[in-house]
Amino acid sequence: MDRFSHHIARRATLSLAAAVLFAPIALLAQANSTSSSSSSTSDRWLHVRVINTDDKNETVKVNVPLELAEKVLPAINKDQLHDGKVRISHGDMNGVDLKMLLDALHTAKDGEYVTVQATDSDVKVAKQGGYMYVHVTEKTSKNGKSSEKSKVEVKVPMKVVDALLSAGKDELDLVAALRALSANGDTELVSVKSDDSTVHIWLDSKNISD
Amino acid sequence: MILAKLAIGAASTLVFATVYTFREGTVRVDVDEHREGGAHVHVWAPAAVVPMALHFVPDDKLQHVCDHMEEWAPLAHITAQELKHYPNTTFVEVEDGDQHVKISTVGTKIQVDVDSPDENVHVAVPLAMIDDVITQIRERQPAS
Repeated sequence: MDRFSHHIARRATLSLAAAVLFAPIALLAQANSTSSSSSSTSDRWLHVRVINTDDKNETVKVNVPLELAEKVLPAINKDQLHDGKVRISHGDMNGVDLKMLLDALHTAKDGEYVTVQATDSDVKVAKQGGYMYVHVTEKTSKNGKSSEKSKVEVKVPMKVVDALLSAGKDELDLVAALRALSANGDTELVSVKSDDSTVHIWLDSKNISD
Repeated sequence: MILAKLAIGAASTLVFATVYTFREGTVRVDVDEHREGGAHVHVWAPAAVVPMALHFVPDDKLQHVCDHMEEWAPLAHITAQELKHYPNTTFVEVEDGDQHVKISTVGTKIQVDVDSPDENVHVAVPLAMIDDVITQIRERQPAS
């Protein structure tokens, strides 16, 4: 009997030792499976893609979760950026009061507000269906013929503009703007097409840019 | 009897070492320079070793890091904490001809991969280790 209980005790000790040894591995596997599902599908992602159509065909892809940006931005305190807000001075904007300009745009009715047609570029600023549009077309002239050199299209939800302006005077609230942006659906924000490169900045719920 | 006690002691040390290593993860550094006599460095070490090794770094050597600590420590801390919520994600990818740079998370590690004709560099660091290192450097900061 004594020998039997000794045998049982030895087996139990071995089992316990094995369990203790393998526990970290099991826990690690469990932690990994939990963490891989922790990234919610409702996450909003900001994507930037730059493609240079030169010899090397350079491609830059950046994928940033808006939630991450919202939390990281307030931790950056450098130059004009503090607590997720960027300080703007009229001097930096050649005397233009950006905040007043955006505020005026917010209260105005839908329509095209700025149209500049010059020999080297066309600029259009408009407001339509809750979005602010800025279209810039740069032109080049060859043998008297004008052709398109580059095209910039910016589309910003007005809610984001409002959030930007929600900070105090001479400040733009970037974190509030990101929050407003995350409430928006899939949106193409910036598109630049030129002879040698294309730039796309867009928002969706995928964590990859393809 | 003494042998049994020694065996139990060795086994429990091994268990604790295993638990600690698995909790902290491992640091991987691979550098291969593609030139004659180029360096080939391959390090695969428990991440727990790094904060421990910091204890042996003289204060004057850490001073330079401490000088900039207040500026970037909160940013590094929050980034390390938040990146844990995005496992297996590519954040930045640059392809330029035969050069390729990728910054991503692989599980609970942040990984930087650089592949170029001159060299290949692959670094994988557990996010938890970054936090531990920041905390330790902060603790070593002289009171101002």
